[in-house]
Amino acid sequence: MTPNGAIVFGLVIIAATITARDLPGLAAVLGVTLILALAGGRRALTALMWSAGIVLPLAAFMSLVWVGIVGRAPDEIAAGSEGSRAAAAVHVALVCLRLFIIALAIQAIVLRFAGWTPFAFVRALTAPPTLKKLLVLTLSLIETILHAVDRARAALIAAGIITRRQSWRNLRNGWVLVQTVWLTVITIAIGRMSDKWPIENTLARLDHALAAPVAARFVTADLIWVALAVAGLAMALGLR
Amino acid sequence: MFTTPRLVAIALCAALNFAIGIMVYLVKLPIFLDSVGTILCALLLAPDRRAAIVCALLAGFIGVVLSIPINPFLPWFMFTVLAIALVSALLTANAADTFRARPLPMPPFVGKVVMYGVVTGIAAAIVSAPVVVYLFGGVTGSGSGFVVAFFLRTGQQLLNSALLAGLTTEPVDKTLQVLLAALLYRATPQAFIAMLRPAQPSLHEPR
Repeated sequence: MTPNGAIVFGLVIIAATITARDLPGLAAVLGVTLILALAGGRRALTALMWSAGIVLPLAAFMSLVWVGIVGRAPDEIAAGSEGSRAAAAVHVALVCLRLFIIALAIQAIVLRFAGWTPFAFVRALTAPPTLKKLLVLTLSLIETILHAVDRARAALIAAGIITRRQSWRNLRNGWVLVQTVWLTVITIAIGRMSDKWPIENTLARLDHALAAPVAARFVTADLIWVALAVAGLAMALGLR
Repeated sequence: MFTTPRLVAIALCAALNFAIGIMVYLVKLPIFLDSVGTILCALLLAPDRRAAIVCALLAGFIGVVLSIPINPFLPWFMFTVLAIALVSALLTANAADTFRARPLPMPPFVGKVVMYGVVTGIAAAIVSAPVVVYLFGGVTGSGSGFVVAFFLRTGQQLLNSALLAGLTTEPVDKTLQVLLAALLYRATPQAFIAMLRPAQPSLHEPR
């Protein structure tokens, strides 16, 4: 599977989850998504657990609001009927199943490319060169910002300006951390633009690397996966 | 339009959108601040309205794309990103001079931060409400879910409740984001801002 195929697959699956209105439709889409996840071997378990880890807290919160506080489903509210907590629970279950499928599809795709570097993934994408260049620059600057955050946070904690745990001092002085990090990365960016990049010819090399032809935009496996996703979408439409 | 300094500014603002979430997590603040970079990008390119719109939108878009592996539901709010970029470039950027004036003109600074924050919040709430209703069934994982529940209990329909909850909570968050963006803009070195803007003809330049 290529990055382009993975993105098309993900988009079709997401369209299918949005199209599906009830349990049979969502179950069909879940089936297709599970096939992709299981094709990843032992990574399937990681994808399932990660997705569950995202959706379960949401499910608990939605249950509290819908079942505990509101006590009836949206269609019952729209109809002006008294409603029931059971219908509210079904509403929460359907919404959470839809969110779970989306999370699982994305995580299964991410894990499929776990062995790739971000640069290799971006390079293989079919996208405007400027967008690819921006993605690479942003990924590079995220690393710079995260390093700056680590250093600034340690320094500010040592200076007693912020604390490791939740505190009023953090609320009052959190801004100092943000400003310190921003000034650090701006200074680094100016330095790179004026000295480092021109000397190393970095941007021209980056353009050259991004423009180099990749093996294939789509491969046969992509077509099979996308066909499977389209079948899921068709089932979701047919079962409405 | 896409000079190297502008590409770096977009990347910096996108990285800021992405990384500020981690900073908020580290200092455990009860807010989101996920569009500070988008607003800041519009302020940095304030004199060139078209560039401000395109660059702010790109900064928001790339921030969202890179967040997908961590938050798979963020891309649904892409139209909210577009709305924030448009409001920032067309309205908030008008306050760029006030935000950078020295000494700090406190009443106009505060007034503009609140005004543009509230407008950004209203726009974000209106655009987000259909997504919140359709994808999340009306309640996201944030505390605004309780506000939705309150409006539902008062007899409002789901879309109205999500919209009213958004209108209640979004302006507060967006005002904080405009404030943070304004302060970062104020702290940005003039040398960097000059690299982003085309050279202005000097009044004393011989004709």
